[in-house]
Amino acid sequence: MTPRWKFWLIGGLVIAVLAAAIYFPILRRRVKRAAKLQQQSEEQARRELTQPIAINPGDPRVKTKLFWASDTIESTLVPVTVELPLSNDPVLRSKQVLNTLLAGPVDAELRTLPPDALLLAFYLLPDGTAIADFSEALATSIPSGIVSEQLAVNSITRTLEANVPQVQRLKILIHGQEVETLAGHLDLAEAFVVNTKPAQPPVKPAPAQSSTDKPATPASDKATAPAPGPLTADKPPGKLAQPEHKP
Amino acid sequence: MGSPVGAQAQQAGLNIVVLDPAHGGTDPGARGTGGIRESEIVLDFVIQVRRALELQGFQVVQTRQGNENPSFDDRSATANAQRGAVFVTLHISSTGLPGTARVYVNSDLPPVADSNGLIPWDRAQAPFLGLSRTFGDLVQGYLTQRFKGSPDATQTASVRQLRTTAAPAIAVEISSVTVEDRADLDRMAPGVADAIARGAAAFKPSYVVPNTRGALP
Repeated sequence: MTPRWKFWLIGGLVIAVLAAAIYFPILRRRVKRAAKLQQQSEEQARRELTQPIAINPGDPRVKTKLFWASDTIESTLVPVTVELPLSNDPVLRSKQVLNTLLAGPVDAELRTLPPDALLLAFYLLPDGTAIADFSEALATSIPSGIVSEQLAVNSITRTLEANVPQVQRLKILIHGQEVETLAGHLDLAEAFVVNTKPAQPPVKPAPAQSSTDKPATPASDKATAPAPGPLTADKPPGKLAQPEHKP
Repeated sequence: MGSPVGAQAQQAGLNIVVLDPAHGGTDPGARGTGGIRESEIVLDFVIQVRRALELQGFQVVQTRQGNENPSFDDRSATANAQRGAVFVTLHISSTGLPGTARVYVNSDLPPVADSNGLIPWDRAQAPFLGLSRTFGDLVQGYLTQRFKGSPDATQTASVRQLRTTAAPAIAVEISSVTVEDRADLDRMAPGVADAIARGAAAFKPSYVVPNTRGALP
C-alpha cells in the first residue's frame, strides 16, 4: 500500500470516528426517549388519550350544585352553585359535573378530591346504576382516614344527586378495577346510594341568565371553564357484573 | 351435675371486647409530617384501652399484637369467633380538628334474610347495626365530654372493617396525625381508653347475647 493510500485510509477512518462521536450522543438520547415512552404506565397512556369533553355552546347554562368542603364547619360539605353549560344526556352531564368537581374550588383548601385525580370513564346502566372509573390518584393521593375518604365519596354522590337524577346508585372503580377500600378505610365493594327517588326524565334547563344574575360563588370562575374529561364508551364494559343494589 | 339444655340456651352477657389496632406491617395508615405513623400510635393506644377494659372486668382480645397486618376478613374472623363480644377498631385520621375523636358505625346494609339462621359474611354487620349505634353513642358521649369539639352523636360511614363483623362494632377515629408533636396524641390515650371502657360497661346491660353461636341478635 502506497503512502498516499495509507493517508486516505487513515483520513477516512478519522472522519468516520468523528462522525460517530457526533452522532452517538444524539442516538443515545433518542433511544432513551423511546425507552421512556415505553415505560409509561397504561394510565399515563390513557391520560394522553383523554380529551376534554367538548363543551357544546348550544347546551343551555344551568345552575349546578357542586359539593365541596365547608370553610366554617370542619369535615362537612356545602353546596356551591355555579352556572355551567350542561348536556341533557345523563352520561355526558355526569362527566361534566364530576370533572368540574375534580377541578376543585378556587380555595384549594376546600377540595374534597386530590388535584391529580382524573375521571377515566363513566357509564350508566339502564337500572340507574352508574359506574365511575377514576385514576389511581384518587386512592393514592387522598388523605387516609374515615373522615377524609367519606367526605370525598359524599362530595361525588351528592353532586350527582343534585344534578343528574337518572343516577340512582354509584359504583366507584379505581383504574378500571374493583378495589376493597378507597384508601384503607372506606368500603368500595358495593354501590353507594345516590338517589332514592325513581329516575326522572332529563332535567329541563333553567333559562339563560344574565351575567348580573350569576351567583357570586367562590368557584364560579374556575368551574365554568372547560373541565378536563375522558373519551369514554357509551356502553359499560362487558366484564363488569351489575353491582349489587343497596336499599 | 350439668346444667339442663334449656339453661344452656339462656342468654349470656357481654364479656369480651375485641380491639383492632388498624393497619400495620407494610400499611402504616395515615402519616404525619413529623414521622407519625397511624399503625404505631393505635397499637400504643390499644395498650391503654386494654388496661381500662380489664379494670372494668372485660376480657380483651386483640386482632394484632405487633407490627403485622391481618386482612380485614382475618380481623373480623377474630371477632366473629367470640361469643358475647363487641368490636372496636381504632384509627388516627389525616384530617379533622386535632384533639377530637369520632365514633363511626357502618352505613345501612341490605337486610339479612333469616331463612336458615346464617349470616352472610359480607353483610355480617347488618343485624347488629342498631346495637352498634347504641354502643357507639355511649362511647361518643364519653369522648365528647373529654374532647371538646368532638361530635355529639355517632357518625355513619361505610367502614370496610365493620361490614364483616358479626357483633356490635364501632370505629373510633382520633384527629389527627397532623399534630406537630406526637405527645399531643399520646396525651389523648387515657381519655380515649376511659371513654371506650365506660361505654362498654354502660352498654353491657343492654346487650343480651344468644347462647347459640352465630345466632342473630
